[in-house]
Amino acid sequence: MVHLAHLLMKNYHGGHVAIRLALGGCANRPFFRIVAAHNKRARDGKYLEQVGCYDPLPNSHNEKLVGLNIERIKHWIGCGAHVTKPVEKLLGLSGFFPLHPMTITNAERLRKRRALKAETASEEETPGCSTECDQNYLPTILFFQKISHRTSPL
Amino acid sequence: MAGFGAPRWRFLWRCAASPLALRRPGRALLWSRGYGQDAGSEANKKKSDVTKPCFMDELVQSLLSKMTGLDLQKVFRPIKQELKPPTYKLMTEKQLAEATRKAIEEAKELLKMPPVLSEREPIDDVLAEDRILEGTETIKYVFTDTTYSTPHRERFIVVREPSGVLRKASWEERDRMIQVYFPREGRKLVPPPIFKDENLKTVFREDRHEEVLNLCIAQFEPDSADYIRVHHQTYEDIDKHAKYDLLRSTRHFGGMVWYLVNRKKTDGLLIDMIQRNLIDDATCLINLYHMLHPDCQSAKEVKEEDAYGVDLIKVFMKTESKKVGYIELALQAYQEALASSAAL
Repeated sequence: MVHLAHLLMKNYHGGHVAIRLALGGCANRPFFRIVAAHNKRARDGKYLEQVGCYDPLPNSHNEKLVGLNIERIKHWIGCGAHVTKPVEKLLGLSGFFPLHPMTITNAERLRKRRALKAETASEEETPGCSTECDQNYLPTILFFQKISHRTSPL
Repeated sequence: MAGFGAPRWRFLWRCAASPLALRRPGRALLWSRGYGQDAGSEANKKKSDVTKPCFMDELVQSLLSKMTGLDLQKVFRPIKQELKPPTYKLMTEKQLAEATRKAIEEAKELLKMPPVLSEREPIDDVLAEDRILEGTETIKYVFTDTTYSTPHRERFIVVREPSGVLRKASWEERDRMIQVYFPREGRKLVPPPIFKDENLKTVFREDRHEEVLNLCIAQFEPDSADYIRVHHQTYEDIDKHAKYDLLRSTRHFGGMVWYLVNRKKTDGLLIDMIQRNLIDDATCLINLYHMLHPDCQSAKEVKEEDAYGVDLIKVFMKTESKKVGYIELALQAYQEALASSAAL
């Protein structure tokens, strides 16, 4: 018999396994599968194993559902798989990993921005502030407003 | 970042166990496991609860199954299935006896009683509090562990609230998530409106108690509040209208008798049994009553006198029952019928 399987299978040099989100679903309806796949594969291409799922749209009870096959995730991490940032953040929120530093950083930044907005709003109300002060703050307020449009939990 | 030092997996993912560790096999095995309160460790308790019998005790189960009866015609009555023309087989007497025996065994399997449990305690366990995350989101995340081999009772289902608190999911959330990821046949994500109180009344008027109870078993967990509420309402309605025969020879009869005996509402059932000439069942019922309430007067009298059959019923009637007149009448009618048939 002629053995051709190994010649037909894709071989990677120096790649690694990654646990990442593969996008699926339809137009205006994303749905992610948490998947263990080779790093060099297409995002939605052939994967080694599906290890969970994540629905980014909230359901009728205002919940976002995440299913995680913890046993298999542990196995792949034990085999040396890398975990991408969104999956790390999800696992941090779930409690399986410690909270991701960017989650905490973004939370702190949001807090600071909101505190600043509240401060400027209260200062604008009080008539004691001079007009020169307002003109100095204006460019910084616009700059922070631009950043605040780009917030997302992950 | 120096903020979150050591990994938190040490104190997270603790066993979300209830004392009832359950594998997820077929229905028969599901209820043959030791469900319910401890029956064994009562020797050292006080005298008041020394031998409180449990629903799953062999003696109790044997009494209940005797009362349930085994009407093959009713157990194997046609259920809604695919239309097939009936098959006819030619058998000898021996083969017929063999087939009847197999049918009886299958009927016993079908008549296995669903468990009677007390209502489950609500879960409120907080795993972590990360107030830093407060205000970043408006939506809660529900994380379910979809490992195939863990039993559903031990599965980790946690919720990260918008306030940053990581807590274990409540029983309703757990049931919903398990149904999403491991759907069970006959169970819907949203309980059907038949289980609302107004609709239950309509169903009871049409005498469809057994259907409702079957749907309830498929939909809810045995220790959930809804299951217990629906069952209790069904039993109350049957007791009020004396429709005991609807559940006879089904798997719900044992549960109903257990409910009635625990609340000392056995009079209607007793009258019904005497009227249908089921004196053995009536004695079983009274024995069960004495097992569950060993301090009542009729139990003591029976212990002294050692009565059987109709005498036992008379003793019970005089001491414990509230509808003495009706039971006396029924007994009289039964004895007259016996006398006339003996005379014939």
